[in-house]
Amino acid sequence: MIGALALLFVCQLAGEAVLRLAGLPLPGSVIGMLLLFGWLALVEKERPTLEAVSAWLTAHLSIMFVPAAVGLIDQGPALSRYGVGLVVATALSTVLTMAVTALVFRWAARRGEPLQDAGA
Amino acid sequence: MTDLLTTSIFWLSVTLVAFETADVVSRRSGRHPLCHTVLLATPALIALLLATRTAYPVYVNATQALSFLLGPAVVGLAVPVWRQRALIRRQAFPIALALAAGTATAIVSAVGVLWLFGAPRAVLASIAPRAVTTPVAMAMASQLGGAPALAAAIVLFAGVVGAMTATPLFDRMKIRDYRARGFAVGVSAHGIGTARAFQVDSTAGAFAGLGMALNAVATAALLSLLALLI
Repeated sequence: MIGALALLFVCQLAGEAVLRLAGLPLPGSVIGMLLLFGWLALVEKERPTLEAVSAWLTAHLSIMFVPAAVGLIDQGPALSRYGVGLVVATALSTVLTMAVTALVFRWAARRGEPLQDAGA
Repeated sequence: MTDLLTTSIFWLSVTLVAFETADVVSRRSGRHPLCHTVLLATPALIALLLATRTAYPVYVNATQALSFLLGPAVVGLAVPVWRQRALIRRQAFPIALALAAGTATAIVSAVGVLWLFGAPRAVLASIAPRAVTTPVAMAMASQLGGAPALAAAIVLFAGVVGAMTATPLFDRMKIRDYRARGFAVGVSAHGIGTARAFQVDSTAGAFAGLGMALNAVATAALLSLLALLI
């Protein structure tokens, strides 16, 4: 349990360090995610505790961002000025992205499958 | 007595109780997207802050124990992706292509439409990561000079829209492949879309979870690249 937490913490710490050294505008936690992925590939073994800990964290993500969401309290000006634009842009973008992604996936799956079968 | 209003234990208690109450309502609604727990808990907490005349920085400070966990939780998103590596390898071509198309479409369409409304850079930076899971979106928004709270609200709204429109949209488009449907809803509507996909079909759910995780990385990478160029 502590080992799994330590792995997650150290990956984030390393991510924060890379962020500072390389000056990438990528969040430290996202770099940490990539580093953990690399670590899992490098040291391949069963990790039931890490799976349990990360599954628990993922299952409770919602409550962790509640404090940030409450920050809307200070976003009154932006919301009243650009509220309509935000709603329209978000809704349009969400539907359009689903349509484009699904169409491209279906097209590529049809192209790719005969090739894969020949290779396998 | 009133000094309790600035303590962690007060605001953590209040936040957990508000969340749990909202969660009961959400469960009773059969997890309807409009009754998402955060969507119900946040306005209640804002009302309480206003009623007690508590400044937001005080609340943030008091609830740091919760926000702190976001970092390790994001790092841990690598684990489910790692577990799906066989699936990714098998479907590498459609996954890579659809991911690239989806990531670019989400960013360009959201920023483009909002730009037409004349929004300034800070607001555009808040909508740019609108398709990724909330913790990553908040981190990206603040990296780009946007507002994490605004990003969180936008991301939640996108999730609700995605979860509610996915099935009628794909049916109308005659897309019956559950891999394509799931992946698309995960890329565009992150965790809320993924939860919806699991309600419909387990293959759709697995592909949605994959789409969500991969899009978090792809969007973060693409936005960082854009930030370096602009």
